[in-house]
Amino acid sequence: MPDLLIEIGCEELPAAACREAERQLPELLTRSLSEAGLESRDARIHVGPRRLVAIASVPPQRDAVATQQRGPRADAPEPARAGFARKHGLAVDELEQREGFVWAVSDGRAAPAAELVPDAVHRIVAGLQFAKTMRWPGGRFSRPIRWLVVKLDDEVVAMELAGVASGGESRGHRSLGAVRVGSAASYLDDLRGVHVLADAAERRELIVEGLNTVGEWIDPMAKLEEVVHLVEWPVVLEGRFDERYLELPERVPITAMQSHQRYFPIVREGRLDARFAFVANGGDAAVVAAGNEEVLVGRLEDAVFAHDKDQARGIAAMLAELPRVSFLEGAGSLADKAERVRELARQLCDRVEVEPPLREAVARAAALCKADLVSSLVAEFSDLQGYAGSLYARDAGEPPEVCDAIADHHLPIEAGGALPADEGAALLSVSDKADTVAVAFALGAQPTGSRDPYGLRRAAAGIVAIALERGYELGLVDLMAESVHMLVSQGHELRRKPLEAVPDAVDFVLDRVEPLMAEEGVTVDEMRAARGSGVTGPLPLAALCRALRDARGAEWLAAIRDAYGRCIRITARAAEQTASEVRTSMFEMDEERALCAALTAADIEIADAAARRDYASALDAAALMVEPINAYFEQVMVMADDPALRGNRLKLLADVVSTLRLVGDFEQLPG
Amino acid sequence: MATFQQMIAQLQAFWEAEGCAIMQPYHTEVGAGTSNPATLLRVLGPRPWRTAYVEPSIRPDDGRYGENPYRFQQHYQYQVILKPAPDDSQDVYLRSLAAIGINPLEHDIRFVEDNWESPSLGAWGLGWEVWMDGMEITQFTYFQQAGGVELEPVSVEMTYGLDRIGMHLQKVRRAQDMEWAPGVSWADVYLENERQFSAYNYELADTEMLARHFDDHEAEAGRCLEANLPLPAYDQVLKCSHAFNLLDSRRAIAVTDRQAYILRMRRLTQAVARAYLAAQEGDDA
Repeated sequence: MPDLLIEIGCEELPAAACREAERQLPELLTRSLSEAGLESRDARIHVGPRRLVAIASVPPQRDAVATQQRGPRADAPEPARAGFARKHGLAVDELEQREGFVWAVSDGRAAPAAELVPDAVHRIVAGLQFAKTMRWPGGRFSRPIRWLVVKLDDEVVAMELAGVASGGESRGHRSLGAVRVGSAASYLDDLRGVHVLADAAERRELIVEGLNTVGEWIDPMAKLEEVVHLVEWPVVLEGRFDERYLELPERVPITAMQSHQRYFPIVREGRLDARFAFVANGGDAAVVAAGNEEVLVGRLEDAVFAHDKDQARGIAAMLAELPRVSFLEGAGSLADKAERVRELARQLCDRVEVEPPLREAVARAAALCKADLVSSLVAEFSDLQGYAGSLYARDAGEPPEVCDAIADHHLPIEAGGALPADEGAALLSVSDKADTVAVAFALGAQPTGSRDPYGLRRAAAGIVAIALERGYELGLVDLMAESVHMLVSQGHELRRKPLEAVPDAVDFVLDRVEPLMAEEGVTVDEMRAARGSGVTGPLPLAALCRALRDARGAEWLAAIRDAYGRCIRITARAAEQTASEVRTSMFEMDEERALCAALTAADIEIADAAARRDYASALDAAALMVEPINAYFEQVMVMADDPALRGNRLKLLADVVSTLRLVGDFEQLPG
Repeated sequence: MATFQQMIAQLQAFWEAEGCAIMQPYHTEVGAGTSNPATLLRVLGPRPWRTAYVEPSIRPDDGRYGENPYRFQQHYQYQVILKPAPDDSQDVYLRSLAAIGINPLEHDIRFVEDNWESPSLGAWGLGWEVWMDGMEITQFTYFQQAGGVELEPVSVEMTYGLDRIGMHLQKVRRAQDMEWAPGVSWADVYLENERQFSAYNYELADTEMLARHFDDHEAEAGRCLEANLPLPAYDQVLKCSHAFNLLDSRRAIAVTDRQAYILRMRRLTQAVARAYLAAQEGDDA
């Protein structure tokens, strides 16, 4: 089988776009070739900042395949038939007539691969989904496409893409110019000759090797994966800086090295060294290292200047500025925000029953935690939010528990990111994030589609991750209602009714439980059933999801689902005829009494088990209802002629539904 | 070694040879070369346009009384607009670096993702910051939208940070030490300027007057637009913008008002852009 080589040459793609392409291309390549009529194998993908490369073995041709397609009715108007004929490359009088319709019949035609590949390339480019794209005179992609190599073995496949004609010539490192590419087999070596390592894994390996030679390097802000896509010809170099910058609190120089410059700090014997490693893309090593050292000194100088200025000012002066700084449009100032977070933290501490010393520390930390947003250090290095505040709180003599709670209350920075190790920080993080989400929803600033300017999805994912890790019962509805309530009492105008905004905000947080549950093997149906129970906390939701997953396939679960379904169907049809309460005095049959007794028992059992988050026991209790329900349906005439009797019997079933639903909306489970 | 002014002259010569109209700095304060009508308005509509010019960017809040080595309330940008963006935009840019003595073989020059947005101009674009040995020396942007209008064709903008590049080329650690002209340092030319304007911007500027000026210029922009005079209207928007920047450096803008001010400027800029385009279409018809 011939080897197909596709190289899409671009101006520097963002690292995030490279990663998107890396994820999508393997499947996209195979599918696009298949849709173009070529079943490929041995797909290989190489991604870097200036090129997306896809290689696969394809058959030399597509064999002839006979096809027949039914078109419009034979008596359809002429334009309809003509359009159908055109679509199949036929004239109207070439269409066949059968069974009252026209047909496009083709013997098919063998086509060489070279004829089909261009279609596949267009499908690949159109199929890549980037979070952000741009227009340029020529097309729309992550960044402009500037050259294109398409070859089947050593033959160029002629085609055009985004105004660029394909050829056999690629481009090397920016300093070295063009290079002729032989074939897929020689591609990586051809490019190596012009200082391009096209394969990301190879670059990563070389970078790690180089970093190891410099010393014990650290990457707390996870820059390595990005750096892999910032260079084509990685050269790891070492830089040094003056020891006196090590007097800064450790995370300050680390952030100065990592945040913008993507340098890797070096540690020795557990302490930061006055050296750093970085990855260049070429140039004269001495010149490049000197330039980077100079840049870092500038940033460290900025850090010293900012840190000195902040220390001179002190956290109290920063706090005094918060009333003048806006938090989120319409939600008042950072002082208002801190006040709400403090109240939420107080409620949360009560609910999760933390000890009084920690409770006081968290309350104090809540009052102080936003102060650093007006600090010079955070203005220079936004990644130091929280940490900067903890430094200045310590300077002001605040106790360690308070400082620790402030330091990591922004964590997790992203979904799946590190969680606060400190319990106070965890409590503060949840309170802060719950307030942000609730307030944004009340102001109508909830995310729409892919737009999430306030990072609410990230905040919600953080709430969920912390709650599940620490086993917190959040009382999310109460917390969020409190935020909205305080927003009003602070004099801010809501743009949505609290009765709509709060449940929406709670639902939004619960949505973030789903990806975690999917990872644990919970199906979409089980998740829907659990959500249908109406639980309002991540913890019970996760517990119920797991219980339903563990019960999957059990006969008794199917029996609950069927019994529940019967109750739902009859009560839904006759909702208006249902009485307002069950009157036991109207029972005529033993089965009515038995069901009522079973319901009373189940109510207690289920409520009890649910309170313990023991949903396996709750499901067991629900299962005990199956027999009385089925007996009821067999013996009792629910739709009795007497309206009062009918109403009472319907009401009993409605109550059964309400109770069973506490352990899941079973109708969502597959039959 | 080239002086600061020689470096500018080299850039002017380079871009002139690339077919750019060499413009001069705008006559009223702008926060960036992008706000100059030679960029913001000329990128609108279909007519081709190539220009290059020095722009002293006035950013009152960046003033440090001349004491910080990089930050000034007035810094120098070199602004280039190529419309439509040519296929070899990046290559031409790299040749311009060679023209001022930056040898691409010697340095590590890279295009690192950076996306640009100006809420008050209703403008955004995608591109890179260009790094030389880890230092950001240029903002390189494919304009997607300006004045709220989708741009067709797309222009490319290159904004060189002249102070930084000059410091690097002259191997000095403080802009103040750069040689502006033979025997004349940057400090000789501008240090006193930075001191006095930092004091004015932070301590003296009359905030009530500035707030009034903002309102007046906004109203005047409206009158110009009614008379279908988008160019004078845009000058009024620039004056609003400078008044806003001064109010900001005086910390005189309440948090709740900030967005409202930006919105007022964006609305005006959008109206200017529409009127400017309508006039152009009238001419072309």
